[in-house]
Amino acid sequence: MSNIVIRAENISKVYRLGEIGHGSISGDFERWRARIRGKTDPRARISEGGNGISKNGLFWALNDINFEIEQGETVGIIGNNGAGKSTLLKIISRITAPTSGKIKGRGRITSLLEIGAGFHPELTGKENVFLNGAMLGMQRSEVKRKFDRIVDFAEIEKHIHTPVKRYSSGMYMRLAFSVAAHLESEILIMDEVLAVGDKVFQEKCIHKMHQVSKEEGKTILMVNHHLEETDRLFSKKIVLKNGKILNS
Amino acid sequence: MRNKEWTIQSKHNLFDFGLKEIICYRHLLIQLIIRDVLALYKQTILGPIWFFIQPLLTTVVFTFVFGKLAGVSTDGLPRPLFYLAGIINWNHFSECLNKTSTVFKDNAQIFGKVYFPRIIVPLSISISTLSRYTIQLLVFLFCIAVYHYKGIAIHITPIIFAFPLMVVTMTSLGLGLGIIISALTTKYKDLAFLVGFGLQLLMYTTTVIYPLSAAPENLKWLIQLNPMTNIIEIFRYSFLGKGDFTTCSVAYSVMASTLILFTGVIAFNKVERTFIDTI
Repeated sequence: MSNIVIRAENISKVYRLGEIGHGSISGDFERWRARIRGKTDPRARISEGGNGISKNGLFWALNDINFEIEQGETVGIIGNNGAGKSTLLKIISRITAPTSGKIKGRGRITSLLEIGAGFHPELTGKENVFLNGAMLGMQRSEVKRKFDRIVDFAEIEKHIHTPVKRYSSGMYMRLAFSVAAHLESEILIMDEVLAVGDKVFQEKCIHKMHQVSKEEGKTILMVNHHLEETDRLFSKKIVLKNGKILNS
Repeated sequence: MRNKEWTIQSKHNLFDFGLKEIICYRHLLIQLIIRDVLALYKQTILGPIWFFIQPLLTTVVFTFVFGKLAGVSTDGLPRPLFYLAGIINWNHFSECLNKTSTVFKDNAQIFGKVYFPRIIVPLSISISTLSRYTIQLLVFLFCIAVYHYKGIAIHITPIIFAFPLMVVTMTSLGLGLGIIISALTTKYKDLAFLVGFGLQLLMYTTTVIYPLSAAPENLKWLIQLNPMTNIIEIFRYSFLGKGDFTTCSVAYSVMASTLILFTGVIAFNKVERTFIDTI
């Protein structure tokens, strides 16, 4: 266990299709009334066949996933749409709980899920940097020390006092990446972040990620579609297909 | 926090309140409170003036409608003071409940992107609501001073030392009910409609506009069933010298609030783990 920062044991995530409540009391009541009168549910969703959806409407987004990640590794999570990449990252980031299984880990996690970190649209860039630091459990003074480097890297000195809702998607992403890369966390999780931003900035990000994993020993988990471009970055790959690991 | 070990599990202990984690994230709590308080002042031109106008106008209307027109007794107290005492306390309770009841809906965006103990958000809301309560309390104290200056005797009683307990009870009651509703609304969205008019109806079951002594003897228990009633009564007794409460009724309010808060935290912690899948 010395160097292992994340160990996933038998992780599964099941989503229920059609079986979820209707989101209102009246909806659930209508369904219950139909059931006791022996009629079909007036609001039932028509079942759709497809990948991983079993007859009882259960969808296994992840099915018995096991892996270990060591400190300082840069792990690429690769797979087609719907393979379970994002679900896996969401579970590791503690956004949603797994249906079964267990993950043990060590160190703080910063996640960049989809576009934008946990930014609050009404707050300025600066306020968001501090709020993000606090969400990681950091003190204000700790964030202050890193602040200049964060703004510098994101190249948004001029707009740091503007609410982030007025940022372009490129600026938003640059700031989000910069915050995630500079804040003191031991594990960095990214979901297709590099899709946004121009080539120059992408190169800069890749360089930065190299740096933080080599020099600071940060562990990086990243979802990727563009294999050729970032292939050289990964020291390990987890290939997912229909919620299962192909090889690792 | 550095190199701290953590475990993510499918199962979750219902009675694990995660107090340790809340302490780890205290900087976030403080920052959210500051943000909420500042937002109250920034959002409008008149800013905190609304906090004065709202209870004062309500008092004027109540004095006219319930006092002058309907002639409801106020236990011999000056009508404006009597109503104001009820209104500011009820306001605080309903504000806590109202704002915390939409926590999941309002923060779905941020909750879907970063992890931190979700309970921090309703906690910060209910604490920052206290800033508004403080302003309204000052208005109330100012009104007492005005009456005192005019030569009308107001008896402040030693029970006033129980005031912190009253505030804590009121806040936990509002917070507890709020997070219970927020947990339920992730499944039943139409509950949100109920909160608005439910709170309004509930106000008439407490002693905001009438004294407990004016209630019929056989219905008194029903009014006292609402934990807010006993808090408003003890508040009136301590600041104005007239109020109808017993040690028993106050103990009931404190216990009911604690129980509701515990239930709320349990429900909230259960829902926070997977609500993002259903909202």
